[in-house]
Amino acid sequence: MSGPAGRLPAALSDDGGSSTQLDTHVVAAVALDDGSLAVGLGDGRVAMAPPGDTGAFRFSAVHAGACLALAVDLDGRSVLSGGDDGVLARVASDGSVDTLLACPRRWIDQVAVSRQGRWRAAATGRAVHLLAADGTSAPALEHPSTVAGLAFDPDGQRLAASHYGGVTVWPTAGSARRRPRRLAWVGSHLALTWSPDGRFLVSATQENALHGWRMRDGVDMQMSGYPVKVKSTTWLPEGRFLATGGAEAVVCWPFAGRHGPMGKPPVEAGPALGCLVTAVAGHPSRSAVAAGYENGTVLLVPLDRSLPELVKRPGNGEITALAWSPDGRTLVLGTDEGLVVRITRDWTPNRATAAARARGQ
Amino acid sequence: MTQIPVTVLTGYLGAGKTTLLNRILTDPHGKKYAVIVNEFGEIGIDNDLVVNADEEVFEMNNGCICCTVRGDLIRILGGLLKRKGLDGILIETTGLADPAPVAQTFFVDDEVRRRARLDAIVTVVDARHLEDRLADSDEAGEQIAFADVVLLNKTDLVSEDDLERVERRIRSVNPTAAIHRTQRCAIDPATVLDRRAFDLDRILTAEPDFLEGDHHHHDDAIASVCLRSDRPLDPDRFTVWLRGLLAERGADLLRTKGILAIAGQDRRFVVQAVHMLMEGGFDTPWAAAQRRESRLVFIGRDLDAEGLRRGFEACAA
Repeated sequence: MSGPAGRLPAALSDDGGSSTQLDTHVVAAVALDDGSLAVGLGDGRVAMAPPGDTGAFRFSAVHAGACLALAVDLDGRSVLSGGDDGVLARVASDGSVDTLLACPRRWIDQVAVSRQGRWRAAATGRAVHLLAADGTSAPALEHPSTVAGLAFDPDGQRLAASHYGGVTVWPTAGSARRRPRRLAWVGSHLALTWSPDGRFLVSATQENALHGWRMRDGVDMQMSGYPVKVKSTTWLPEGRFLATGGAEAVVCWPFAGRHGPMGKPPVEAGPALGCLVTAVAGHPSRSAVAAGYENGTVLLVPLDRSLPELVKRPGNGEITALAWSPDGRTLVLGTDEGLVVRITRDWTPNRATAAARARGQ
Repeated sequence: MTQIPVTVLTGYLGAGKTTLLNRILTDPHGKKYAVIVNEFGEIGIDNDLVVNADEEVFEMNNGCICCTVRGDLIRILGGLLKRKGLDGILIETTGLADPAPVAQTFFVDDEVRRRARLDAIVTVVDARHLEDRLADSDEAGEQIAFADVVLLNKTDLVSEDDLERVERRIRSVNPTAAIHRTQRCAIDPATVLDRRAFDLDRILTAEPDFLEGDHHHHDDAIASVCLRSDRPLDPDRFTVWLRGLLAERGADLLRTKGILAIAGQDRRFVVQAVHMLMEGGFDTPWAAAQRRESRLVFIGRDLDAEGLRRGFEACAA
């Protein structure tokens, strides 16, 4: 059922990388500070592997049901996992599991960590639990409907929670009388992301669009035109672009100027393969996005219009998880059919073009 | 991609929904179900995987005024589909739930639509109290209007005459649902599971006693209008007419179903709608010996039977 199976080098484009076939859905992937990798699984386990693409995964049984959310914990060496058993657990690099919250008969499907502000947060239904680094928690923060997205701002000063009708932004300091700021916009708001400079907050909505707020003055911005809901977003270096899945190309909204994407069209990057981009992960230092497609393909797509690099061929299910190690050398990807692939390479821009030239393209 | 079947159980509190749910779960079928419930009933649910959810009806900000979906179901179905080995999902709604947002969720949300399939809406009604509920609430009528299967339960508590009257009343609201008389919801689960009632190719074909006549009620309750025609339809005229009708009257039209003979086409055209959300397409060819008769059913409020008939007849090629 599990363990490294060394399956299908054919799934990879050419040299390097290792594949592990599991009998479950890969829900999420994250990379830790030292380049270790973690994946959360539909069977409730969390698997961790040492840096690079050769070490074996170590599996920890964490949830009675499925893992629904995964985040790097405060120390950068362990992960937080939320599940449909109502458990929020910390999984350390040695595989040990600590339960931080247990809410029987509820789901924890949203987890956020601010390493800057030393906060953790998890949502169960309409309530958000804000946990301090010492494990103490404030009274739960209540919302008008189920919270579908959670994100700390880059400083950890504010926690945004999305729900039906908008987003509520809470100050994290001053526990007793928190006065939230409500950002209202019709419809159901889902995943949330802050721009790296904290100037913009963006939600993905049920109406197949993104909605953004400029935090200084609350100005609204609508980014629409997607055929499906946007489930994956990533910021490119210096926050110049927000790259997203949810379309047949990687859709990149320009956020560099004072007005963000207002009045500007998005840049579309990557070839249309006749299927949707389901997961994106921006390279930590290059202006390039790892893009995973519905048909199992993964490409490294540069934004400078140079040729994309093939990372994984089609097959093995839809790409559901993608993450880069902080040094930008290792990419981990996962699919809904349980394939996990790790690839360590020198992903330099010239290499992609050189490889393409060698193939006669 | 295989789609997981989802069965929705509706009915007033006390009608016997949870009894039916436990009958399905304890039947020795060897299948693994997840159960989603929106209220705590007095009866426990006999299953390993029970998810409690707050019923959250969301309006879609997409210009369609009556398009509401169930946010809780989108979220929970998305989460459940990350598990392997589930054979089906059963949703027990509250007694006061409007089935429209549940059904519309399966039309509107791309992820739910891709990975799950609304199999059928099963409505349990209490034979003794149904007429009172129809008189004093909107939900009772809506739950029958949306039903693919109606369990007329507690038949031991009323006379045969009463049963026949109640059954006629159900038929007047919904002429296409399969009606089963039960006591304590004793029924073979196969009768309510795997109905494929929302599959286009099963629309109006599974129910032999459909269309015994026009049962239109002249009050403000939910009723139905059944139309039929031997004249092949002009596809453009029909599409324009139906789209216009749904756009204008979609709030009052709860369900629409049809099998249509299109001029110059050997294949049957099938169509269904939940309020304004419509889907349709060409299905299998008409059998050689089969009469090419178009049949169209509207279930809704304040239906203008004569206007609908005229509009439909004007679509002939």
